Amino acid sequence: MIIDQVLKFELSRLNVHLPERRISLKEALKSAKPQVAARDGSIHAFKREELDLLAKTVPEAEWERLYLPILIALDPKLGRGAARITGGAEVKAISQILEKKGADDELLIYRPEVAIVRRKLPTTTQYLFVPG
Amino acid sequence: MAAAVAVVTPTRMELLKLKQRVSLAQRGHDLLREKMDALVIEFFEILRRIGEARTSALKQLSQAYRALSICSAIMGTIETRQASKEARRELEVEVSTHHVMGIVVPTLEVEKVERSVLDRGYSLYTTSSVLDDASREFEKALGLLVKLAELEESARAIARELEKTKRRVNALEYILIPRLRAALKFIAMRLDEMERENFSRLKRIKAMLEAGA
Repeated sequence: MIIDQVLKFELSRLNVHLPERRISLKEALKSAKPQVAARDGSIHAFKREELDLLAKTVPEAEWERLYLPILIALDPKLGRGAARITGGAEVKAISQILEKKGADDELLIYRPEVAIVRRKLPTTTQYLFVPG
Repeated sequence: MAAAVAVVTPTRMELLKLKQRVSLAQRGHDLLREKMDALVIEFFEILRRIGEARTSALKQLSQAYRALSICSAIMGTIETRQASKEARRELEVEVSTHHVMGIVVPTLEVEKVERSVLDRGYSLYTTSSVLDDASREFEKALGLLVKLAELEESARAIARELEKTKRRVNALEYILIPRLRAALKFIAMRLDEMERENFSRLKRIKAMLEAGA
């Protein structure tokens, strides 16, 4: 039974790095120190060059709808190595970066693409583990 | 496996509890495996960046040592050493942390690695401009080395977490889940056996009652 408790604790800890509240790209671009507070109390800062890259990728009208960090959802139901991006503006930004077409509100990406996204946007994207 | 099965009470309640535990363990295994895959991606990305950073740091260091050799040749070794003793050695490095999937990764920020000639602290009257060149090259190299240190420490932190996660995934995959499944199978078989025993007992009783009547 101790193993179950350890396992439950591990699962509860998986998403502690996620922010309490996401901020829009517009808000981040305006801010002198673009950052968000994570659930564990730590601060997650965004790099200015990544914000500039996103600003160039997404039209200005969408800046308010693009929330940061962009979440790369890893769901075991999707199968190993597959990830999901949700949100209209977020899908648009990642599609542009990967030069890949996706549905309006959802984009499925695979491991090599996740690596590319993480390489280009290391601070403005974060992993989200979806419990089954 | 047999030891784990031996301590299990073959009841329906235990069967339900075990089913819940298997489902929790399976869920944990799937999620931890996803985390492990993500960590592998991060680890390889950091290794690639370390490779690049190390190449550029080594290249810069080689340029810096070449500049130092020229400086020693022109100014003289003793004078160069004297100037290096006079130079200011403090460098302000801001050490903070950021999180990659809950792993604390250091961030080293140097405000100003490359200093002006006046900020370096050695006498301008007794030194040559080749010393300034050598100093500038070493300052550039120092900036690259700080960046390399940050990346190497990040790689170490990610590797530690990767090792821990892998151990957990393996423990779940090869020990816990198979044990729970074996116990589940044992209980299901034992319950079936008990049901069969009960059924034959009832049949026997019925036959005895019919024979008595």
